Amino acid sequence: MAVRAALEWFNSCSGCEIAVLNIGEDLIGFLTKHLELVHAPVLMDHKYQGQCGEGSEPDIPEAEVGLVSGGIANTEHLELLLLMRRRCRVLVALGTCATHGGIPALMNGRGLRQGLEEVFTTATTDPGSSFPTGDVPAPLDRVYACDEKVDMDIYLPGCPPNPRHIAEVLTAVAEGRPPVLPGKSVCDTCPVERKGKGTVAEVRRFLVNAENEGPVERMRCLLEQGFMCMGPVTAAGCSGRGLPRCIAARVPCRGCYGPVRKDGNQMLDMMNALASNGIDFKSVMDRRSLLRFSGAHGRLRPMKKKQ
Amino acid sequence: MAFEPKIIAFCCNWCSYAAADLAGTARIQYPHNVRIIRVMCSGMVHPELVLDALSNGADGVMVLGCHLGECHYQDGNHKALARSDMITELLEDFGFEQERYSISWLSSSEPDRLVKAFSEMTERIRKMGPVDAHDATG
Repeated sequence: MAVRAALEWFNSCSGCEIAVLNIGEDLIGFLTKHLELVHAPVLMDHKYQGQCGEGSEPDIPEAEVGLVSGGIANTEHLELLLLMRRRCRVLVALGTCATHGGIPALMNGRGLRQGLEEVFTTATTDPGSSFPTGDVPAPLDRVYACDEKVDMDIYLPGCPPNPRHIAEVLTAVAEGRPPVLPGKSVCDTCPVERKGKGTVAEVRRFLVNAENEGPVERMRCLLEQGFMCMGPVTAAGCSGRGLPRCIAARVPCRGCYGPVRKDGNQMLDMMNALASNGIDFKSVMDRRSLLRFSGAHGRLRPMKKKQ
Repeated sequence: MAFEPKIIAFCCNWCSYAAADLAGTARIQYPHNVRIIRVMCSGMVHPELVLDALSNGADGVMVLGCHLGECHYQDGNHKALARSDMITELLEDFGFEQERYSISWLSSSEPDRLVKAFSEMTERIRKMGPVDAHDATG
């Protein structure tokens, strides 16, 4: 019997939906045999208040599994999230925005007012550029991860999430078992050579290329080369052809899968790892940006003015 | 009612906890505001423990270890010290005053030093007032 599934997106860029598409040929099997999509704004013209607008309250059909992408940034997102929670038995947070706030939660480091001012006005803007208040949903005070607003059942981080893991979650729900997802760090899935801490005393910015002789597997660990690689504090899962994706391109991990433990703190853990290994933590140029993917849950907050 | 701070003190098993024990048997008074948590080494106090304590309502956090060079595990307290500067600086990022955290070193035969550290910290926090009670999760 086909599993009824609903998709919904909030403060999302649609990359997660493309990741669903990237399941590839297996998706055909899902869609024809195992999955019955009952609601998916990205694909279907399903109206919230009846196809002719006859309903009074927004509603969606009931579903076994709901996949939601994006964080919660305004009242519309919140209303839709609550609706999804009511109508879906298993609710899956798809992508790092839904699990940890993602890139949009960088706004939390500035605060709503300063953020809007920067976006809607500059010294040279013409009059009439003020932030609209009437016809668009009101923004919330900050960007939230989904589980700050409702209980979530499964977390599937990633920017974008790994299509294989999406397939695993869908299969698991269909089979009525918990999904098997990676629980370790990027470093655990990284094959590069580690020779010990060496003499690195500070991390440097990625302005010159890493070693690029020979295969990636023979390259020295990027952190040991002195680059600010977030592998130790980032959840595994991005591995495409056996290698973490950024490492495959000899680029340091930027932390897009969020913290290893769901309630971990990437900035604190990374700074701790550096400090306890004798690397000067002050050599990290902009440490708050280590929370670039996990700024929800109150992690990123506007700097207090010194008194 | 006057403000009575809550202070969490991570004491290492080998020096500072033993000193607290000694303070007890010697009947030396110290402020009741301090709640001691025994850890095996000051070097195992992850910054997250400090931050969690503050986020959950502690008004101050102390880490107490052996004198530098006298760590039971060779260099645990050096690790704690290296982390300490980092914690002090990062506290501001998460909205806490730097003065809410302190680190000090003492041997197991120095209960008076421990009591002094406890008293000074309690006074400092009492002047600062309660921790800005924000909920770290919301």
